[in-house]
Amino acid sequence: MGGRYLARRGAQALLTIFAIVVLNFVLFRMMPGSPERVLLRNPYLTQAKIEQVRKQWGLDKPLIPDQLVAYTTSTLSGDLGYSLKFRGTPVTDVIGQRFWPTILLIGFAEAIAIVVGLAVGAYAGWHRGGVGDRIGSGISLVLYSMPYFVIGMPLIIIFASSFGWFPTSGMLTVGATYPGLVDRLIDFGRHLALPLATVSLGLIGGYSILMRSSIIETRSEDYVTTARAKGLTDRRILRSHAFPNALLPMVTIIAINLGYVVAGAITAEVVFNWPGLGTLTVDALSARDYPILEGVFLLLSITVVLANLAADLVYGLLDPRVRA
Amino acid sequence: MRSTLRVRVARVLGGGALIAALLLPAATPTTAADPVILRVGTTQDLDSLNPYATLLVVGYEAFQLSYNLLVDFGPDRWSLPGFADRWERAADGHSWTFHIREGMTWSDGEPATAEDACFSWQLAIDAIADGGAGSLGAGYLDPTLDDAAVTKVECPDATTMIATTDDASDRILQTYLPIIPKHIWGEEDHTSIGEATFEPTLVGSGPYQAVEWQTGQFVRFQRNPSYWGTQGYADEIDIIIYKTEDTMVQALKAGELDYAHGPNAEQLNALQSEPNIATVAGSANGWTQLAFNTYGTGTDKTIADGGPSTPALLDPAFRDALGYAVDHATLVERVLGGYGDVGTTMVPPVLTQWHVEPTNQRTFDIELAKQKLDAAGYALNGSGERLDKAGNPIKLRLLMPDSDSNYPNAAQFVADWYGQLGIGVTTQVLDSATLGEIVLPPEAGDTYKADYDIELWGWSGNVDPNGLMAIFKCDAIGSSSDSQYCNQTFDDLYDQQLVAASNEDRKAILTQMQNIIYDDAPYDILYYDANLEAYRTDRFAGWQNQPTANGTPFFTYSTLNYTRLTNAVAAPSAEATAAPSGEAAPTAAATPDAGEPAASSSNTTLIIAIVVIVAVLAVGLVLYSRRRRTAGADEE
Repeated sequence: MGGRYLARRGAQALLTIFAIVVLNFVLFRMMPGSPERVLLRNPYLTQAKIEQVRKQWGLDKPLIPDQLVAYTTSTLSGDLGYSLKFRGTPVTDVIGQRFWPTILLIGFAEAIAIVVGLAVGAYAGWHRGGVGDRIGSGISLVLYSMPYFVIGMPLIIIFASSFGWFPTSGMLTVGATYPGLVDRLIDFGRHLALPLATVSLGLIGGYSILMRSSIIETRSEDYVTTARAKGLTDRRILRSHAFPNALLPMVTIIAINLGYVVAGAITAEVVFNWPGLGTLTVDALSARDYPILEGVFLLLSITVVLANLAADLVYGLLDPRVRA
Repeated sequence: MRSTLRVRVARVLGGGALIAALLLPAATPTTAADPVILRVGTTQDLDSLNPYATLLVVGYEAFQLSYNLLVDFGPDRWSLPGFADRWERAADGHSWTFHIREGMTWSDGEPATAEDACFSWQLAIDAIADGGAGSLGAGYLDPTLDDAAVTKVECPDATTMIATTDDASDRILQTYLPIIPKHIWGEEDHTSIGEATFEPTLVGSGPYQAVEWQTGQFVRFQRNPSYWGTQGYADEIDIIIYKTEDTMVQALKAGELDYAHGPNAEQLNALQSEPNIATVAGSANGWTQLAFNTYGTGTDKTIADGGPSTPALLDPAFRDALGYAVDHATLVERVLGGYGDVGTTMVPPVLTQWHVEPTNQRTFDIELAKQKLDAAGYALNGSGERLDKAGNPIKLRLLMPDSDSNYPNAAQFVADWYGQLGIGVTTQVLDSATLGEIVLPPEAGDTYKADYDIELWGWSGNVDPNGLMAIFKCDAIGSSSDSQYCNQTFDDLYDQQLVAASNEDRKAILTQMQNIIYDDAPYDILYYDANLEAYRTDRFAGWQNQPTANGTPFFTYSTLNYTRLTNAVAAPSAEATAAPSGEAAPTAAATPDAGEPAASSSNTTLIIAIVVIVAVLAVGLVLYSRRRRTAGADEE
């Protein structure tokens, strides 16, 4: 895989990010409703006050080119501005507080879901029609159709409220002092357990079903018939021939899914009060907090574009036919 | 390539085992030296720690903990010493001398004196002098000083503040301005304080000092050791922000919270049967309304492609008749679950000093409503539709925001009742920002069309009814008016009551004002929603309501109740080691024998966690060993 290939893909990625960011900027500010009227709703609000605040928040100038240019120049210089909703807090602080919680929850959940989901799906697809397939597909379908909060609330009620094994919500025990780092990690782990279980279970279903159909397709390929004719065991054929080939479309799907997963985890974040980017986005949208929305979408678009770039590279690693 | 994949899988599994190991329950040793933490839950998302920038009840709670008002509010909202410990009014009534308590210090050790009080009030005076745009921050606090008509403050020495006022009432004692430290904020003026980029340093003279704010998650307050008043039992107060009441209530039941602000009616009823949990339904200082679009009344102004869909809405007789078709008691019973009061005038009954029942109170009587509509000239046609005076069927659009889950239920009832009168109602839920823009008239900007008929929304007020009455003034059109109502008589009365010579005089004027609005009915005030709260009684005791009769412990007008809490556990010495387990590692029940249940539950979790780890490691080993075995026998 040449340096030129990487450079080309990198340049494409940058261009995509730039386009997304500019488009989102314009779209958000075209929405009906404006932040000062949402955030400052009180009986003493006057026209004069509204106008003054609009000026303070840079909303009185025309959208294009003034606001767009101001936004582009400040973002390129790394200044994401101040939140309109959380007044007095820079956007980087607000997003920064949510970044690691989201990465950890989504990252671990994806990892578990990929491993378990692909394994279950591969087994079910290979032994299609068998008992394992029926059970596996059945459970996967049920999980796939359950929204996160339908998985999450029962988990809270059973394991947190009734048994008391885990805390009901949050990321850490607020105000707790920890004798050492290990205690802090343990507390974090206890808080992470239920939301992690919820998001993983929600994702496993989907990956398993997709993997299953991918394997079924691969089963009917010529090279599998050849391998069988050569006398290789079923398990070896699955592991060494079918699975890696079936994996190829899954890599693309997982990468594309990443953006949806971050957004879809909102319901899990709400239920578990997990401080993630999903709820931040929804709240900022209701409040028309433009700086936060722009910052979050910048982050999300970079993440998704990078994930797809990584998927391209992984694809190239997995499949020698693709390498440039 | 295949073995790389297998190794990768094995590595991931190994990582999973590590994670599982981290899930071992915390057997965190607890000691009696752990701080006592009071955990308060709310679903309001704190917007700022700057007292001038916040507009949420949780924001006022936060600044009332960190800062003092000059004069505080006592158990029944009478005045209590705050930053000032006594005050006198001059004989002519136009100046007040406040004696500032001696020996106070800020939480950073600097002395707190009258200079800080004068600085704080001077900011508001400058803002008021600057006119509407100059008001401090969000513009909600300085009007309280404006209402008190304070024109000048001076501090001749470190313990004296003299305020000159044009107002003959004692409203100056209700001024809701925090006293902020001049040595920290002294560089600011009244315009810079409100900017979104202004980050105030957190130094105050109140009982608990804000020390950490994670947006959307929590605010932590620590005891201010140099607080001049009674120190509270809690060392730390954490206000934890939830996205949904369901999670908050689960946390309260599990003992992770001590206080839950705003569970809904069903949750409150369910909590009443929980052990160690008490519930409160406090009278709310605010209401939910139907606001009718009366744009054009008296001015004959119309809006192209906008405005009310029928001129009937501009007719007080029409609106009055509609008021007879709404069963307010049923709404309280069925929508609020019984927690609330029937809506009448725009001054909530909890303000006992100012609220009056309307002289011409309407009743729920559909037949009477129909008769009144007929008498007012709105007849039914052959198909049962109610026609306006132009002969068009009346079809009203009822819009509401998505901010309150009770609104759609209330709207359904209203649509049904109006339907019985022959009036068609379509309801729509919109997001708050969009709705806020739809109801604006051209006075707010050329693009606005006030394209609605009825707006279902609500307001909440503060200790003085001025805020809730200001919504009905002519100059509120384009800003806080939901109904585009304009009545010069009302405006004149409003100005008169601001300078009323005595409380009795003011009450008389307010009685007139309340009746005018009730009779004219630009709003149909549906109900005063109650403030629902629940709290645990097994860790903290000494819970009091403010006001005592129908208030709530927290989220009122003062934070003194935080300092009035005591230890609920009777014998501190015996339980000192067991009880604090509630703070550092919250368990399901913080009872004296909390050690036992925690141990048995942690044993089970330990076993399960070990099983999981073993299983994951076993799978990982199997995969790894297979890789080794097959490495030699490669396929062709």
